Amino acid sequence: MDFASLAVQLNAGTIVPEAIVLITLMTVVVSDLIIGRQASAQWTPYIAIAGLLASVVALFYQWDVANPISFIGEFNGDALSVVFRGIIALSAATTILMSIRYVIQSGTSLAEFITILLTATLGGMFLSGSDELVAVYVSLETLSISSYLLTGYTKRDPRSNEAALKYLLIGASSSAIFLYGASLLYGLSGGETRLSTISASIASAGLAQSIGLVIALVFAIAGIAFKIAAVPFHQWTPDVYEGSPTPVVAFLSVGSKAAGFALAIRLLVTAFPLVSEQWQLVMTTLAILSMVLGNVVALAQTSMKRLLAYSSIGQAGFVMIGLILGTDAGYSSMVFYLMVYLFMNLGAFTCIILFTLRTGTDQISEYAGLYQKDPLLTLALSVCLLSLGGIPPLAGFFGKLYLFWAGWQAGAYPLVILGLVTSVISIYYYIRVVKMMVVKEPQEMSDSVKNYPPTDWTLPGMRPLQVGLVSALIATSLAGIFSNPLFTLANDSVLKTPMLQQALGRSKAPIAKQMAPTISQQLSLQITEVSTKKAVSLPKSMVHS
Amino acid sequence: MNLAEGVQIVSFGILAAMMLGAAIGVVLLENIVYSAFLLGGVFISIAGIYLLLNADFVAAAQVLIYVGAVNVLILFAIMLVNKRQDFQPLRRGWIRKAATAVVCAGIFALLSTMIVSTPWAISTATPAGDASVVVIGLHFFSDFLLPFELASVLLLMALIGAVVLARREFLPDDEADRAQVEALRLPERPRELVPSGRDETVN
Amino acid sequence: MQLQYFLLVAAALFCIGVYGLVNSRNAVRVLMSIELMLNAVNLNLMAFSNYLDPQAIKGQIFTIFVIAIAAAEAAVGLAIVLAIYRNRDTVDMEQFNLLKW
Repeated sequence: MDFASLAVQLNAGTIVPEAIVLITLMTVVVSDLIIGRQASAQWTPYIAIAGLLASVVALFYQWDVANPISFIGEFNGDALSVVFRGIIALSAATTILMSIRYVIQSGTSLAEFITILLTATLGGMFLSGSDELVAVYVSLETLSISSYLLTGYTKRDPRSNEAALKYLLIGASSSAIFLYGASLLYGLSGGETRLSTISASIASAGLAQSIGLVIALVFAIAGIAFKIAAVPFHQWTPDVYEGSPTPVVAFLSVGSKAAGFALAIRLLVTAFPLVSEQWQLVMTTLAILSMVLGNVVALAQTSMKRLLAYSSIGQAGFVMIGLILGTDAGYSSMVFYLMVYLFMNLGAFTCIILFTLRTGTDQISEYAGLYQKDPLLTLALSVCLLSLGGIPPLAGFFGKLYLFWAGWQAGAYPLVILGLVTSVISIYYYIRVVKMMVVKEPQEMSDSVKNYPPTDWTLPGMRPLQVGLVSALIATSLAGIFSNPLFTLANDSVLKTPMLQQALGRSKAPIAKQMAPTISQQLSLQITEVSTKKAVSLPKSMVHS
Repeated sequence: MNLAEGVQIVSFGILAAMMLGAAIGVVLLENIVYSAFLLGGVFISIAGIYLLLNADFVAAAQVLIYVGAVNVLILFAIMLVNKRQDFQPLRRGWIRKAATAVVCAGIFALLSTMIVSTPWAISTATPAGDASVVVIGLHFFSDFLLPFELASVLLLMALIGAVVLARREFLPDDEADRAQVEALRLPERPRELVPSGRDETVN
Repeated sequence: MQLQYFLLVAAALFCIGVYGLVNSRNAVRVLMSIELMLNAVNLNLMAFSNYLDPQAIKGQIFTIFVIAIAAAEAAVGLAIVLAIYRNRDTVDMEQFNLLKW
C-alpha cells in the first residue's frame, strides 16, 4: 500500500468541517500566546464563532457526498452524522456568544475557555460519525475530558470544583464500564472493532443470543445513558448544572447531549441489531423513568439552573421515544426535536445568563415582576420556556407533536400517553416561571428586580449576548411556523443514511459493504506478511500454545 | 505439558496473585501512601502478564506510562494534599461496605459465568510476537490514523486544562477596569485568594 | 494456558475496582480505583488480542489508546482534586456536600 493509494483510501475530505474547527482551535491557542491576554479577549471569540460557522457551511457540502466512509472505516460521514455535527457546531457557536461577558466577569481567561470548548466540539463532532470502537472511545473521551475541564473552569468557586470532581468521577467510571462492554464486543466478534462488521461476525460465530452479548449491551448502555443523562444515570446532572458556569451548562445540555444521542443511534443500530428487543426494552425503561422523574422533580425546584437540569432529563426521555420506535418517522422525529431543542434551550440559557449577570442570582422567586423592568428579556425567556413546554404555535409544540405522532403510528400507545401526561406536568412548571415574571403587581417585585440596572448593551461582551438572545428568540418563534425546511432536513437525513435504511430492512447494497472488504483485506494481507516474516524467527517458547 | 508451558503457567499464577493481592491492598488499606505504592505493584504485575501475552511493546508502554507517569503523578497529588486527617467514621458505614461487597461478588459471578460459558473463537494463527511493533506502527498510520491524531489533540487539551486548573491564580492587575463594569455581577465571583505557599508546609 | 484464566483475572480486578470506587472516602483513592478498572479492561483487550486476533492485534492498539487517555484523565482528575483541596481543605468525599447529590 503506497502513499498515494493510502491517501485515496483515507478519503479525508469527509472531515473538512472538523479540520476547520481544529485549525480555529490552534489559531486561538497560538494567537493568545502571541498577542497576550488583554488583546486576545477582544477578538478570539469572534474567530472561534467564524470558524464554527465555516464548519457548518462545510457540513452543508458534505450532505450529498458520494462515499461517506473515510479513514478506512473509522469515520462515517453519512447524512445523519452531518445533521448531528451541525447541531453540535451551532450549539458551540451560540455558547461562545453567551460566554464572552460571563467569562470576563468571572475573572478567568477567555482564550483557554474557548480552546477547551472547541475541543469538546471537535470530540462531539467526531463522536457523531465514529464507526469503530477505538474512534468512538477516543472521541467520547475528548468530549468528556473537555467537559470536566469546562465544568471546573471557575476554579475559585467551591461549587464549581465540586461539580467538576463529581462529574469527573462519575464520568470516568461510566466510561470504564463502557470500555468493558466494548472489550467484550471485541472478544465476542473474534477481533472486530468496526461497528458495522461486529454484529455480522457475532452472528456467524453463533453467539447471537449469548449472555456475553447482553452483558456487553448493558455495559455499553451505561456509558451512553450517562452522556444523555437518562435516569438512573442522571445523578450528576443537577449538581453539575447548578455548580458549573452557565454557558458550559448550555453546551452540555445541547451539544454534549446531541453527541450522546448520535452515539446511541449508531451503536445500538449497527452493533446490537441481534439483541434489538433487549435494547428496546432497556431504553424504554430508561425513557419512562427519565420522563417521570425529570418532570416531577422539576416541580419542586427553586433554582432556575436546577429546574432546567431536571427539565433536560425529562426532555431526554421524550427524545428517547423516537429512538425506541425503530421506524423512519421515529428517527427523524428525534432529529427534528433535537434541532428545535437547540434553539429553545440555548435561548433559555442566554436569558438566564443575562439575568444572572444583572442581578447576581438565579433563584426563580427573584424573577418576580421582571416584565416591568426588562420586557425584551421577559419576552425571550417566556417564548423559550413555553416552547420547551410545548405550547402550540411555538417550535417545541411541533417537535413533541411529531414525536408523539411517530410513537402513535408505531403503536407505542402507553409510552405516548405517558409522554403526554408528563409534558402536561412540565407545562405547569414552565408556566409558573412565566407567570411569576409577567403578572406580578409592582409592589410584589422581588428585591433584585427592584434594583435592576438599566439595560446597557454597549458594555464589552454584551453585544454578542444581545445577538444570541434575539436570534434565539426569532428562531424559536419562527421555527414553529416555518418548520417545513427543518422537517424536510430531518426526514432526508434519515432516508439518506444507509445504516438506518439497512436496519429498517430495505437497503440496496449499502456503501459500507462495498468499500470495506477490499481495504481491510489489503491491510490484513500486509500485516500478515509482516508478522509471518518475523514470527518464523521467533523461538518456540515465545509463541503461546 | 512441556517445560515452556509449565513456566508460563507458574509465572502467570505468581503475577495474577501479586496483582490481585496488591489491588485489594489499594482498595482496603487505611494509609493512602501504601495504596499508591501497591498501585505501582498492580501496574508492574500487569506489565508482566502482557509479556506472557506476546505483547512486549505494550508491556513497555505500561511500565513507562502507568508506573512512570500516572503512579508518580498520584504520589505527587497525595503529597500535595496530604493532611493526615482522620475521616469521621460514618454511622452504619459497614452496611454500605457489606452491600457493595455482595454486589461486586454478584457481578464477578455473572462475569465469570459468562466467560466460562462463552465459546470464544480461538484463532490458530501465529501471534505477531516480535513483529508487533511493526504491526502497531502500520495500524497507527493506516486504519487507526483518525483516533491517533485525535488523541494528540486530547492530550494537548488535557495539558492546557490541567495547567489552568492547578495553577495558582495571581490577583489580576486590571482591578481598575473591573470596577468600571460593576453594574454586572455573578454568583461565581472569585472569593478571597488563597495565599501562595500554604500547601508546601507538608512534604 | 487458556484465554479464560486471563479473562477471569481481569473480571476480578474490575470488581475490586468497582468496590473501591463506591467505598473510598479519599478522592485520590477513587481515582486509583478507576485506574484499576481501566487496567482490567486493558487486560481483557490484550487477552482477546492474543488469542482471537493474533495477526492484526487490534486489541493492543486499543490498549495503547486506553493507556494514553487514562494518563490524560488522571492528570485532569488530580488537577481538579488540587483545586478543590485549595478551596475546601479536605479530600473527603463525604464532605463535598455543597451541592445535593
